[in-house]
Amino acid sequence: MIEYIIKLKRNTKSIFKDRWVWVMAWRDARHNFSRLFLFAASLITGIAAVVALDSVNHALKDDIDRNAKELIGADLVVNGSKKFEGETRAAFDSTRLQQAGEADMASMVLFLNNNESRLIRLVALEGEFPFYGTIETQPADAYQKIKTGRFAMLDESLASQYEVSSDDSIRVGDVVFKVAGVVTKIPGGGGIMTTFTPSVYISMSELDSTGLVQYGSRVNYKQYFKTTSEKQATEALEKLKPTLKKFGHSFETVQGRKEGLGEGFLSIYRFFSLLAFVALILGCIGVASSVHIYAREKREEVAVLRCVGSSGWQAFNIYFIQIFILGIIGSFIGSILGIGIQQVIPFFLKGIIPFEIGFGISWSSLLLGLILGTIISVLFSILPLVSVRFVPPLTVLRAESEATNVISKTRIAAIILIALFPIVFATIQTRSLVTGVFFFLGLAAALSFLTGVALILLYAVRRFFPSGAGFILRHSLASLYRPNNQTRVLLVTIGLGAFIISTLNIVEQSMLSQVEFTGQENQSNTILFDIQPSQKEGVVKLMEANKLEVKQVVPIITCRLSEVKGKAINQLQRDTINKTENWALTREYRVTYRDSLTHSEELTKGELHHRKVGKDSVWVTISEGMEENLDVTVGDSLVFDIQGVALKAFISGIRKVDWPKDPPNFIFVFPTGVLEEAPQIFVTATRIDDKQIANQFQQQLVMQFPNVSLIDLRLILSTVNSLFDKLGLVIRFLAMFSIITGLVVLAGAVINSKFVRIKENVLLRTIGARTAQITKITLIEYAWLGLFSALTGMILSMGGGWLLTTFFFKITFAFDWLELLIIGTGVVVLTVAIGWFNSREVISTPPLQVLRKEN
Amino acid sequence: MSQAVLRADNLTKIYKSADKQLTVLDHVSFSVAQGDSLSIIGPSGSGKTTLLGLCAGLDTPSSGTIALMGFKLNAMSEDDRAYMRNQYVGFVFQNFQLLGTLTALENVMVPLELRGERNVMPKAKELLERVGLADRMDHYPSQLSGGEQQRVAMARAFITDPKILFADEPTGNLDEENAQHITELLFGMNREQHTTLVLVTHNLELAQKTQRIIRMKGGKLVEEIHREPVL
Repeated sequence: MIEYIIKLKRNTKSIFKDRWVWVMAWRDARHNFSRLFLFAASLITGIAAVVALDSVNHALKDDIDRNAKELIGADLVVNGSKKFEGETRAAFDSTRLQQAGEADMASMVLFLNNNESRLIRLVALEGEFPFYGTIETQPADAYQKIKTGRFAMLDESLASQYEVSSDDSIRVGDVVFKVAGVVTKIPGGGGIMTTFTPSVYISMSELDSTGLVQYGSRVNYKQYFKTTSEKQATEALEKLKPTLKKFGHSFETVQGRKEGLGEGFLSIYRFFSLLAFVALILGCIGVASSVHIYAREKREEVAVLRCVGSSGWQAFNIYFIQIFILGIIGSFIGSILGIGIQQVIPFFLKGIIPFEIGFGISWSSLLLGLILGTIISVLFSILPLVSVRFVPPLTVLRAESEATNVISKTRIAAIILIALFPIVFATIQTRSLVTGVFFFLGLAAALSFLTGVALILLYAVRRFFPSGAGFILRHSLASLYRPNNQTRVLLVTIGLGAFIISTLNIVEQSMLSQVEFTGQENQSNTILFDIQPSQKEGVVKLMEANKLEVKQVVPIITCRLSEVKGKAINQLQRDTINKTENWALTREYRVTYRDSLTHSEELTKGELHHRKVGKDSVWVTISEGMEENLDVTVGDSLVFDIQGVALKAFISGIRKVDWPKDPPNFIFVFPTGVLEEAPQIFVTATRIDDKQIANQFQQQLVMQFPNVSLIDLRLILSTVNSLFDKLGLVIRFLAMFSIITGLVVLAGAVINSKFVRIKENVLLRTIGARTAQITKITLIEYAWLGLFSALTGMILSMGGGWLLTTFFFKITFAFDWLELLIIGTGVVVLTVAIGWFNSREVISTPPLQVLRKEN
Repeated sequence: MSQAVLRADNLTKIYKSADKQLTVLDHVSFSVAQGDSLSIIGPSGSGKTTLLGLCAGLDTPSSGTIALMGFKLNAMSEDDRAYMRNQYVGFVFQNFQLLGTLTALENVMVPLELRGERNVMPKAKELLERVGLADRMDHYPSQLSGGEQQRVAMARAFITDPKILFADEPTGNLDEENAQHITELLFGMNREQHTTLVLVTHNLELAQKTQRIIRMKGGKLVEEIHREPVL
């Protein structure tokens, strides 16, 4: 009988003690770094995106904290739509705090230097506002000057737009003001709102003399308070609260502004976090795909090492060490790059947010980048790299030897950790598990869909392969199926970038289409409001004199609610289980009366109830959404306080209102025969196509009816356009991260498949292909890749855009084929350019040189 | 008779696919004693390379046993077999199988370094000099000709003083002159180090240089010839 030795005594060393694996890692890597280019580039791009966006988030938060007091200008602000008088004024004075006042309203301004006019926000200031921060003007004494009489300051953008300088004059209402200077910085000012309604500042003492404050004018009053401590602010607020509630005034504290701003910027944080998340995940895909290619290329070498005695772990460790060290280096470079990019982002955000973001280094973001990069390089390389452990040594004899599909613990652990990683990262980024899970699910859905579309496109190419087409076309299409070509990964990564940019474009187009009705014939593009009854006839005459069609003159009555469903407002306010919103109970409503629906309305519930006889009940309709805020439905009663007169009404129906269409639109519409005698103002609309007529009409209107304001919807359209230009620049800049990552993956895949391509091209050359033919094949192959990626992204963006516009923005879905075509072409051109740039060597190298190199 | 370095008993290798199975090796038995030289010959597809792979522990048989240096390879893990190869086995392949990212010298040093040995460079240099590559030590495989690459592979195979050397068509990719040179080196070093040699070849002239020849056909050992080697 033969005796065998069953067990071998073998020494195993840990990665740290096994000198050989470190030596081999270095030897193998020193001439091999280009093979790991894709890995490093993917990691660097992903980490740079995360660090840049994270540090911008940090900077935003720090600046909000730092600037909150300066942004509000005081410790406490009370807001109201009525002048603070009587009981309210007494309550203010009882606080014994230093106070300042402000009133702002919409008004027309006429620039006397060029006779042009436009709608502005008129701000009247009183006292020593601001208590924190400063009003910066040019010249520096402008603010002091307006306190001395009929002087005004203009927002910088307004002054430059209408070429107004100091000592020019403007007319506001009945008064001509001399321009004292321009405002470059003011607490609470700046930001995107300035773009919509630039401000003109005057002294509060001059407001009444303008004659603008009349019945129906919407004036917002603010009272600023300065306290010595937070405690004093809280005490003062507690003291004021009953009065504020009684008169429906609201208030704001520094803490409240901080939280408000924080909430306002939460969507920006989330958007940035989402972009960072997408870029990082793309980076991870790049890392995993590059290591997968790398591990495949190393199969033969691993088999040789296994033959000469290396264990599976030793072989694994060689490449793991390389990836790990390069991962740390890549994370460091990515983090530094991210910090560099962060310095650029505030430039893009300038003019969008109401304060400047500081430039600085966020150490926590830098650390995040380093840790994250290292984790990613380990986590996403283990799964593809673990296959190295199971390369059969028999591969040295038979290259086609396949490893048995080993289910190792390492592999299972890697899969679990990889699945957890996006959720954990998104949760940390958004500081919410739910949002984190939604990010993950959203991304998984998008990636699955992109992969699905990519697979369908690839299947379609195979299924309907143009067998009868020319050699070049056929060969370029067939190249998409080349082993290691990473076609699917490329379609997904570049497609995701195309998706983000196209979706943004669709949302932009949808929003623009909301205001673009002004461009359609017969639609009003100019609205005149605050017309007093005595002015109604005159305004109509003026319009007719300018040959402008008077569409309709809509009456507006201001009122408040005094009872809802039989309960008084103060009773409802005290009721803790009452679901009614306090602001809905106390706000001022502007209502109208008519017996029909307009083009922008649709009755969704109930009916229009005409008032038949004088004693019939009053039935009103309410706009959809508001009935929820007031917790009322058809048949419920309301009591309106119309300038001191109580009027009971019942809800007869609910209207769905398309607010931007055919303004003005209303929450409450009364039937005719009820409010005709109530104090009212009028609004009218017309269409002006000629700019010269528009200027002439505006000028005459301001001169004859100074309190009547005019909204030029074309101006709003151009403002929305410029707003999108600004926002779009930021979003496109950030979306570029995912495009860049996609292109890095493309460049890497091209480099990694270079050797396969070289062999193919050498073969093609040997059988007689010319350089021009090989170049064409290469370029067309990338054009296919770009085209399919663009198609993949755009198909998804149609769905994504529709979902966003329908459910999030609640606007009509619209898109511009031409712009989408431009985006698609851009993606194709960029893909072809990157592909060609990296393939130059493959195309131009003589066959013999390549053969020698290959050997 | 000296002790058997390699013993194969009833070796069978069956490859299974979805609906059929292919027997590439069918109950093959033989043994090789220390210092012997053996050629495995036969037409393509006769199972020569499979047999070599099994004997060297590069693959596992479907049935039967292989003992190398008394160790039963079937019972060992993949890593144990790798360790075993490092301790006792040398390889020379038809397509050289050098590590492309390592210089000639580093390629030769790898097996000893794997053992954890230090200061292995002098021995590696000595072997490279022995194969006539003293001036090409720092060259990478891509900078060497086929013959030179095979000589590096020989130096790598012999650096561990292996008990047994497996060679798969060692001259298959070489021209006549280089093939002659490699053959001389292979047998010369084999004699010097008293290494057992197992050779797979199509080349009858080369096979005749070994003491024994096994002829394979259709996965079966059909003939075994004991003869005086023609050197």
